[in-house]
Amino acid sequence: MSRPDPIFVVHPSSGVPIYRQLVDQVDALVAGGRLRPGDLLPSVRQVAAVLGVNPMTVSKAWSRLEADGVLARDRGRGMVVAPPAGREGGALTERKAQVRPLVDQAVVRGLQLGLTPAQMLALVKSSLEEKTP
Amino acid sequence: MNGHGDVGDAVRVGGLVKRFGDRTVLDAIDLSVPHGQVIGLLGLNGSGKSTLIKCLLGLLRPDEGSATVLGTDAWHLADREKARIGYVPQEATLYPWLTVRQTVAYVSSFYPTWDSAWGEELLRRWDLPRGHRVGPLSVGQKQKLALVLALGHRPELLILDEPVASLDPVARRWFLETVLETAADGKGTVLFSTHITSDLERVASHVALLRAGRVAFHEEIDVLKDRFKRLRISAPADLPADLGLPGTLRSQVQGGEALVTIDGAGAALVAGLRDRYAADVAIDSLNLEEIFLELHDGEAAAAAPGR
Repeated sequence: MSRPDPIFVVHPSSGVPIYRQLVDQVDALVAGGRLRPGDLLPSVRQVAAVLGVNPMTVSKAWSRLEADGVLARDRGRGMVVAPPAGREGGALTERKAQVRPLVDQAVVRGLQLGLTPAQMLALVKSSLEEKTP
Repeated sequence: MNGHGDVGDAVRVGGLVKRFGDRTVLDAIDLSVPHGQVIGLLGLNGSGKSTLIKCLLGLLRPDEGSATVLGTDAWHLADREKARIGYVPQEATLYPWLTVRQTVAYVSSFYPTWDSAWGEELLRRWDLPRGHRVGPLSVGQKQKLALVLALGHRPELLILDEPVASLDPVARRWFLETVLETAADGKGTVLFSTHITSDLERVASHVALLRAGRVAFHEEIDVLKDRFKRLRISAPADLPADLGLPGTLRSQVQGGEALVTIDGAGAALVAGLRDRYAADVAIDSLNLEEIFLELHDGEAAAAAPGR
């Protein structure tokens, strides 16, 4: 019935805070369908012990994911993956915020190379067409 | 919030000044550590970390200001409060002629709350030879024994002065896990000084940086990592020698390329750079060691004339 607990890996000496590394990994597992709605996440204490990190760090990651609507608190059980409906609002803003700097960079480079807005939009459009079924 | 009857913080230091002769080692230190926090004390050698720790333990008397530990003035800590504190010094003071077992028996007799089962568990976990005399033990083994002695009475406040300097990486990892266990129930408070920043990043939630006898900053590690960024700027034309960016710690400009470390680089600042110089701006995250180095390098660069 229950699938094996997801394996998390953190690099404490990365410039990326540990909690955010965990948030990103859970996001990826959920987005990739490896964690499905209703799946139970390992407890804060378990994850902290396995990774050898401060439990508060893990707790912060889980809380952040809860605020984003990716996880939900299930009384008596722990943190579970939220049903997709709860994931729309916060996560979308979050996802947009992640893509925005990349778009900015592409636009700046395009302007430097003398492309017109219409030419750049056409590029985005053709890239999208290639990558979406 | 905590089950120990103390209201407020485990450690509270206010305006603490400590001088040795005419040398001011601690120059008005303010630092509050709430119950349950794991905080790392970071600083160069000679920045006053050990002096501060000794003031917290009542081993040194502050010249000005106050140090309150578990609700009591540190200089007047009574046995009752001392029994709630665990301390591992830089170099453990042990009696070389006693065996490991005798050492534990001797020290545990001072503590009414000594947890023998837990003490035994730690000895076993760290593979300390009970029947051996302490004298010939390796530096690392002595350090582990000192930690057993500091943890056996299940202290509410654990203070460690450069505890891992003499441990190998495997022992360090074990050690840190035990420290975390102390804090895991959210009641144990841990304050440890170190200059091994990777240990700090793993277990501490907060860091206080001592510099020139003051607390340069006291911040959540995650917040620090968000605050300090290195910008790699690449522009088609030469950049001015001084980019005039607020919060600059260190700036290096060469033609159209620049490397700038900034405290508080926001999206607006980056967008401003892109617009003004038609520049590519890449943002690097910094780890604690890099932040530490940037802070000290930046200061050295600012102090050196003609740079």
